[in-house]
Amino acid sequence: MNDVLIAPVPSASPASKPEPVLRIGHGSKIYGGVHAIEDIDFDLYAGEVHALVGENGAGKSTLCKAIAGAIKLTSGEYDVDGKPAEFERPRDALAAGICMVYQETSLVPTMTAAQNIELGNEKLLTRFRTLNIQAQQLLQSLNFHIDPATPVAMLGTAKRQMVEIARAVYNKARIIIFDEPTASLTPEEIIHFFNLVRDLRRRGVAIIYISHALEESLQISDRITVLRDGKLVVTARTAEMTREKLVRHMVGRDIAQTHYARAAKAANGGKPHVRGEKVLTVENVTMGMVVKNMSFSVYAGEVVGIAGLIGSGRTEIAKIVFGALKRNLINGGTIKLRGKPVRYRVPKQAIDAGIVYITEDRKQNGFFETMVVDDNVYLGKLSTRTGWRFLLSKLMRNELASHWVERLKISALQRKAKIVELSGGNQQKVVVAKSLVQDPLIVFFDEPTRGVDVGTIPEIHAQIRRLAEEGKAVVVISSYLPEVLAISDRILVARLGRIVAEFDAAEATEDRIMYAAIH
Amino acid sequence: MAVSASTTGERGPFASLLTQLLRKPSQEQIVLLITLVLLVVFSVTLPGFSKLSNLLNLVRSISILGILGLGMGLIVISRGIDLSEVAIMAGSWSVALINIQHGMPVFWAVMTAVLIAVVIGVANGVMVAFVEAPALFVTLAAGFVIYGAAFWYAPSWVVYAPKPADAPYLLYLGHDQLFGIPVPIIVFALTAVGMHLFLSRTSTGRFIYSQGDNPEAARLTGIALRPLIVLEYVLVALLAWLAGLVWIGTTGSMQMGIVQGTYIFDVILVVVLGGISLVGGRGGVFSVVVGCALIGTLFNAFTIMDINSEVQNIIKGVVLLVAIILDNWLHPRDEETARQGE
Repeated sequence: MNDVLIAPVPSASPASKPEPVLRIGHGSKIYGGVHAIEDIDFDLYAGEVHALVGENGAGKSTLCKAIAGAIKLTSGEYDVDGKPAEFERPRDALAAGICMVYQETSLVPTMTAAQNIELGNEKLLTRFRTLNIQAQQLLQSLNFHIDPATPVAMLGTAKRQMVEIARAVYNKARIIIFDEPTASLTPEEIIHFFNLVRDLRRRGVAIIYISHALEESLQISDRITVLRDGKLVVTARTAEMTREKLVRHMVGRDIAQTHYARAAKAANGGKPHVRGEKVLTVENVTMGMVVKNMSFSVYAGEVVGIAGLIGSGRTEIAKIVFGALKRNLINGGTIKLRGKPVRYRVPKQAIDAGIVYITEDRKQNGFFETMVVDDNVYLGKLSTRTGWRFLLSKLMRNELASHWVERLKISALQRKAKIVELSGGNQQKVVVAKSLVQDPLIVFFDEPTRGVDVGTIPEIHAQIRRLAEEGKAVVVISSYLPEVLAISDRILVARLGRIVAEFDAAEATEDRIMYAAIH
Repeated sequence: MAVSASTTGERGPFASLLTQLLRKPSQEQIVLLITLVLLVVFSVTLPGFSKLSNLLNLVRSISILGILGLGMGLIVISRGIDLSEVAIMAGSWSVALINIQHGMPVFWAVMTAVLIAVVIGVANGVMVAFVEAPALFVTLAAGFVIYGAAFWYAPSWVVYAPKPADAPYLLYLGHDQLFGIPVPIIVFALTAVGMHLFLSRTSTGRFIYSQGDNPEAARLTGIALRPLIVLEYVLVALLAWLAGLVWIGTTGSMQMGIVQGTYIFDVILVVVLGGISLVGGRGGVFSVVVGCALIGTLFNAFTIMDINSEVQNIIKGVVLLVAIILDNWLHPRDEETARQGE
C-alpha cells in the first residue's frame, strides 16, 4: 500500500508533459436518436485539474460516464496514455487507474473506513489489524484524520468523501473524476477539500472537476471546459476565464431559440397580461435542509416559471404543496389555497382540491406501462372524486381519450399501443393528459420537456400557455432557461431552498437568472 | 378458418388471436397449450383418464386450490403477497368447528369464521398499508400467529365437522352435486367469473392493476392506496374463508397441519405459473384458471400412473422453472426503452 503513496511525483505543470493521459476525439453518445454529447474533443494531462461546467443536461455526466467506462461512446476515439481504451465496464476503467468519486458516495455504510478503502480488492483472508494499520498509514499520508476502524455510517459527509478519495488513491488512481464534490460540504470543509485536491495534483494525478459553483471551478482548476446542449463550447486556461465569460458561454444560445422565446412572449404579451385571483400562497415553508423558508404566490391565469439548479428545492416545494411528501418531514410554514390554509397528507386530497403535479420522471412514476393510452387517461379521471364510478364505462373512456388525444395531438395511431412503445414526447403528453383530465385549478409542471423530442417541445409549451389562458394557475419548474423564458409570465429563481429572485417576464434574461441561481 | 378470414381481408377476433399466438404467445397461452397437449396425450395413453367422472374429479380436486389462487392472484397483481392465506383458511374454520362441537349454532360459528377472516385481513392490510411493513414478512408473521392462536384454542390436528345430516348447509358446498356437477366446481367457476368481472369491469379492479403496475404513479394520480390495500387483504381473507367452507364440505374436517405444509406454495405456484407476475400489474383470472388446469391435469395423471410424491414435487418444481424461463425468454426487458431519457 505504501508504494502507492511514495510513487514518484512528476512535475505538476501540464506544459512539461506534452502527452495527455486521456484524450477523447469527436466523441458522441446517442440515446434513442438524441445526441447526449456530440463531437466532443477533450484532453487531460497528468497533474492538472480540469473543470467541466455546464447547465443541467449539458452532457457533463454523459462525458464522465463514458470516461469512467460506465457507458460506451457511440462514435469517436477514446485514448488513455495514447493507446485506444477498450473499457467494457467500470471495472476495466478502474484497472486503468480511472476512478469516479460520486456525488452520492458509493461506500458501504455498515463497513469500517478501512474495509471500505479495501472494498473490491479484498484478499481471501485479511486480519483486521493489518488492514487497519495499512489504512491508517494511507489516511495519515493524505492528512486525513479518520479512525480506520470507524463504521462509515458514523462519519460525516466530508469524512466519507475523504474515505472515498483514499479508496481512489489506494486503487492507484491516476485520473480522478469528482462529480459535485462540494455540494454537501461546509465552507471550512471545502477549504480542506481544495487543499486535498491540490495535494493530489502535486502527486501527478489528473483530475476532472464537475461543479455547479463557478467560483470553485475558477479557484481550483487549471483549465476549464464549457459544455452546452451536449456540445463543447470552449476549452480555455482558467487564468483567461472570468465568471461573466463562463456564464455567457454556458447560456449563450443561438439566435433562433432566443427569437422563439421572444416571439412566444410577444404573442401573449402584446397586451399586459391580466392576473386573476391569487390562488396559491406558500409562506415560509421549511423542510429539513432542502427547503428553507420558501415563500411565493401564484395567480390564476398566469404561468410562473421556477428556475434553479438541481437541489435548489424546486421539486420538493411542488411535492409539498401536492401532498406527495411525508408530512412529518415538513418543519413549518403555511400553504394557502385561495386564502385558506391547507395541508395535504396524500396527493388524492390535493387533486380533489384542484391541484395536480406532473412528474419530472415519467418513467419512474408518471404512467402505467402495462396499460394503453386510453386507460392511462381514464385512470386519471377515475381517481377524482367527481370522475369516480364503480363500473368502468367504455364509452366514457373513449370519449375522454379521444378528446385529449386530439387536444394534445397525441399520435392517434398509437392509442392501442402500450405506453412504453411511444416516443418520449407522446409519453409526456399522455402523462399531461392524465393530470389535465382531472380538471385542475393549479397545475405544477416539473421539467415538462425533459427527454422530449425537439419537435414536440413547442407543442407542450403551447399547451401550457393555453392552460393559463383558460384561467388556470400554472407553475413550471425547469432547468432549461429558454423554456422558462419562453413560457413564463413571471420567473422565480430558487437557490438552496429559497426563492432568491423574482423577475417579470419582460425584464428577465438568461444571464440574470443564471446569475441568481448560482451566485 | 383463420386463413380464409385473413385472405378475405376481414380478420376476425379469432384470426388476430391466432396471429398473435404465432408471433408472441403470452405465458397464459403457453400454459393453456401445454395443458391441452397433456390432456390429449393422457387421454390416449392413460386408461380411464378421459372418462367424464375422472375429468370432473380432476376439476373438483383443484377447486379449493383455485379459489385460494384467485385470492393470491388478486394480491400479487397489486404487487403484494399473502403467505397467511392457508393459515386464515385453516385457523378460522378450526375455531368455528370447535365452537360447533362446543354447542354453538352452526350459523353463528360460520359468522365467527367470517369475522376472524376479516379481522386478520384488516390487520394484514393495516400493517402493510399504514405501518408500511413488507407484505412478505407481515403475512409470514400473521401465518405463525394464526397457527399458534388457532391451535391453542382448538388443540387438535384434525377438527371434525358435524355429520352432514346435522349441518347440511354447512357441508353443502364441498359435499353435494348440482345437476350432476360437484358443487366445488360451481363455486370455483362462479368465484372466478365474479373475480374476473371485479378486476376488469370495476374501477377498483383497475386501481388494483395500476397499483401493481406502478404504486408511486398510482399515488400521484390520486388513487387512495391505503384503503385499497386494506380492501385487498380483506378480499384475500374472505376467499380463504370460502375455500375453507368448500374444504370442510369435501373432507368433513379441517386439518391444521396444512398450515405447516407446502400448500401455500402450491397456491403461489398456480398463480405464477399462469402469468401473474410477482412484479405486479400483469395477468388476470384466466392465469389462475390455466395454472390450476395444468397442475390439476398433471396431478390427476400422476395419481392414475401411481407416481410417488417425491417425483411429483420434482415435476412441480421443474414446471414452475420452465414457465418462468419461458416468460423471461418471450418477454425480455427492453434495455433500450428502459434507458431512453437518461
